[in-house]
Amino acid sequence: MTSGPYNYSYIFKYIIIGDMGVGKSCLLHQFTEKKFMADCPHTIGVEFGTRIIEVAGQKIKLQIWDTAGQERFRAVTRSYYRGAAGALMVYDITRRSTYNHLSSWLTDTRNLTNPSTVIFLIGNKSDLDGQRDVTYEEAKQFADENGLMFVEASAKTGQNVEEAFLETAKKIYQSIQDGRLDLNAAESGVQHKPASPGRPLAAPPASRDNCAC
Amino acid sequence: MNHEEIKTVVQEKFLSSERVTAFLCDAKVLHPEWVKRDRLLAIVEYGDEKAVFCLFSSCYPPKSFTDLSIEIVLPIDNSFKCEIDNKPSDPEAILYLNLQSRYNKFKFEIQMTPRVDNFVDDLFRGIEAVNKISTQPEFVWLKKYSIKDEEDFIAENIVLPRTGISNMPNTAPVAIRESLIKRKMCDKESEYTFTKQFTVFCGTWNVNDKSPIIPLKGWLHIDKEPPDIYAVGFQELDLSKETFLFDQTFREDEWYCAVLNYVDKRAKYIKVEKVRLVGMMLIVLIKEKHYPFVRNIVCDTVGTGIMGKMGNKGGVSIRFDLHNTSLCFVNSHLAAHVEEYERRNQDFRDICSRTRFPQVNQQPKAIKDHDQIYWLGDLNYRITELDPITVKKLVNENNFGPVLEWDQLKQQHKNKNVFAGYHEGLIAFKPTYKYDPGTDNWDSSEKHRAPAWCDRIFWKGDRVTQLDYRSHPALNISDHKPVSAIFSSEIKIINEEKYRKIYEEVIKQLDKLENELIPQVKVDVTEVDFGTVRYLELQVRSITIKNTGKLPVEFEFIKKLDEANFCKEWLIVEPYKKCICADETCEIQLKVLINKTSACKMNAGTDQLYDILVLHLYGGKDIFITVNGTYQRSCFGCSIEVLVNLKMPIQEVPVGKLVELESKRDQCVSNQSTYSIPKEIWFLVDHIYLHGLKEPNLFEQPGLHSEVLQIRDWLDTGSIDPIPGSIHSVAEALLLLLESTADPIIPYNLQSVCLRASTNYLQCKQIIMELPEFRKNVFLYLCEFLQEALQHSAENGLDSKTLSTLFGAIFLRDNPNLVQEPQSRINKQVIDKKKAQFVYHFFINDHSDLIFSK
Repeated sequence: MTSGPYNYSYIFKYIIIGDMGVGKSCLLHQFTEKKFMADCPHTIGVEFGTRIIEVAGQKIKLQIWDTAGQERFRAVTRSYYRGAAGALMVYDITRRSTYNHLSSWLTDTRNLTNPSTVIFLIGNKSDLDGQRDVTYEEAKQFADENGLMFVEASAKTGQNVEEAFLETAKKIYQSIQDGRLDLNAAESGVQHKPASPGRPLAAPPASRDNCAC
Repeated sequence: MNHEEIKTVVQEKFLSSERVTAFLCDAKVLHPEWVKRDRLLAIVEYGDEKAVFCLFSSCYPPKSFTDLSIEIVLPIDNSFKCEIDNKPSDPEAILYLNLQSRYNKFKFEIQMTPRVDNFVDDLFRGIEAVNKISTQPEFVWLKKYSIKDEEDFIAENIVLPRTGISNMPNTAPVAIRESLIKRKMCDKESEYTFTKQFTVFCGTWNVNDKSPIIPLKGWLHIDKEPPDIYAVGFQELDLSKETFLFDQTFREDEWYCAVLNYVDKRAKYIKVEKVRLVGMMLIVLIKEKHYPFVRNIVCDTVGTGIMGKMGNKGGVSIRFDLHNTSLCFVNSHLAAHVEEYERRNQDFRDICSRTRFPQVNQQPKAIKDHDQIYWLGDLNYRITELDPITVKKLVNENNFGPVLEWDQLKQQHKNKNVFAGYHEGLIAFKPTYKYDPGTDNWDSSEKHRAPAWCDRIFWKGDRVTQLDYRSHPALNISDHKPVSAIFSSEIKIINEEKYRKIYEEVIKQLDKLENELIPQVKVDVTEVDFGTVRYLELQVRSITIKNTGKLPVEFEFIKKLDEANFCKEWLIVEPYKKCICADETCEIQLKVLINKTSACKMNAGTDQLYDILVLHLYGGKDIFITVNGTYQRSCFGCSIEVLVNLKMPIQEVPVGKLVELESKRDQCVSNQSTYSIPKEIWFLVDHIYLHGLKEPNLFEQPGLHSEVLQIRDWLDTGSIDPIPGSIHSVAEALLLLLESTADPIIPYNLQSVCLRASTNYLQCKQIIMELPEFRKNVFLYLCEFLQEALQHSAENGLDSKTLSTLFGAIFLRDNPNLVQEPQSRINKQVIDKKKAQFVYHFFINDHSDLIFSK
């Protein structure tokens, strides 16, 4: 039997950040449930979703933390950046203000995560092209200047949503393969599980001990 | 079965030196994502060391120790913690036991029975004992119980609930998930498998201590087609004492080689497994082309002989998976002697219950847990009730029917006393026992027994058809004849493509399920506004958390990054941590109280009535609860230096001005626009001076809280009405006002100097003269007033000693922000005494010189 027992080799932690109302929770929902959540309430806190994906034949469990976008929670949500292997930074292509705030989100991300954290910029609501307030080219340039991966996506139609999450995982996986991402580092945001049978999950114990307190 | 009997069974699971001191039935292991029911909790003692075990029982009540498996081991060491909670809705019936040991933390739900007390007492005795000894116990005896694989993993995953935000949340245990996947895949098996017929040859022979000196072709190679699988069992390979005692015999290799030599040569066979216990041996071979599809080969042996343990009787078994079908082969030699059929039934049951095949990541498998079971051997059942002569006559005529009616095994099988659920084919061959070796003649010894079909083959499984069942009388070296059977068995083969497709579907379903199982709650309010909050007035709001998910949810308010507490000092959250069952709700009270330590920070603008609490659900999301309010600033909590600058009541002072004054209080100097002492102090003192000097129990009888609050408002609003409340309330307000100033009258940094000087009045005076101006004014003003009050001690009952103790503590207040060495009580008494002594000087001596020196 080629499929073998069900196993995954890695756990990647993602965070989703960006201004209020840009569609962070909807992107998560679209990714985990393949559905659009129409009347999504504002997130007051940090939601949490998981999905298992396959990259280069490896099963990877994504653990996705979807943070509240409201400015007043900013100080608290900063606590959640630590240990993220991937950061999805979202703006709304129909609201320029959400794009203008990106540099502040980026500063937080750079300051609060480690250098190997993969940052992926998502311009959400690409289905509302008629109300566009930020051009693709402008955002693409911003992404290139700052070394970010970038797509325009739609949580409503599902366009590019899968891609954004998967490309991020591929980049993280590549970093592991290249040795750029040190799995033993406490804050890598990746847990590795050796494929040996008998131990269903061997998260390095160290990663459990590095809590903030 | 009563408690003591179960306890005896549990005790058998352990060595006799490891004593079960207490145990409980009906425990549940709770986790936010799953619940394990019907567990037993036991406290086991070995020497000075104790540990808590959680056991799973395959049947309830457990009949034998083999029914029990150990799931969790928690050594009671220095790190061991035990917390007990009640279920609020039903505090009589349910108890939650939170046990933590090293890195493992478990929550158990137990039924309230009288035994719980014993258990908990025993637990605490263990904790007490371990904390008394200085060395950490080693728990060497627990090594053999160390739980690997699944349990280890679960332990790791339930462990250490994160206390900070940055940690990984607890993920659903993979092992649980894997077993779920396995079950789901099992349910859908028919959708991705097709079947193929395999032929299985089963042979059994009691060789009666003989070597293979004759060819075995007539037994193993007589069928038209070579079988796909050979399962060949022997009994009494070697009857020597050495074999029995040391379990070693050269016959094993002899007979194994003989089998390999005489199996059908038209196909190539590979050994699946070979297993032997004393004289019982089982060999399983499979055609080479099928071998790649054989997995999870495990064997086991069970002795049921002397003392119920020795291997002269018993069973040996081999299990494996072939494609997607699980197979189990058992070769057994059951108890001898004509009358002992009950003993043989018992041997069968013992082999069934004691044979265990360990599995990776799963509970061990038993014989019954297989799709197909083939059971062969010298089962030793005889013919009773018929006399030997009749039996021999009938079987010689090949008239087996009437004899078989008296076959013990047929009878016991029919009555379901043995081999229940198994099948046996039609017997159309002569009894296989007992012959004179080397002949086909019935045993001629003096015992003169009836011949019997000792050697038999049974099977169990829906898709198995027996093609032939026969004996091989030509192989005559033993007193038994070999027997064999050929089966055509359906083996389920996986269609890779379909499997993959269905597998992906199942995974997707489980992903969905996993997301659904993330704890879900509804919080009725996430923004709690306390409105206007006043000094020393407790305000309470509540929020309600409802568990809207399917499993119990444990919540806890957790710390934000780099913060020492999960909430600000003026906020109290009760409860801050709890487990809520599905569909139940929990009310959380949020209480705000601005007291003397927090008031000055509010006045100075270094703190605000604003906080965001992080409500964390174990294994799930975090919810932010915002708490805010407007603090009504008060003269309580202001610095002396600020108060002397306020010409108007504090509520008329703009907030910004107040913050500015507080920030500049060190540079405050007297000028035309400052008072020499705060007007608020003057108002209160003057009121007592005019109306209360003769009040009995002045400064000793407490005031009324409500009146103190009225006095607070009177001071803060600059009311023109007379001061409200009794003299005692005014006196208490004065004390509170002096206690709540941002800095004490005598600054913190002078405290130790004061204490050293406390016996020397002159030195004390010197210190007072050097105080910052307004502090000195307040100090001297109050001392002067208190001297006045002491003049009336006949009426107000004051004495200078009591008064100096009271005011010593106020004037020389301890710094709350200073982390002090834990003071011994005696040391604190000494310090308090020195403080009193310091102010005492100023109560009994005339210090007008200090006042006039100004």
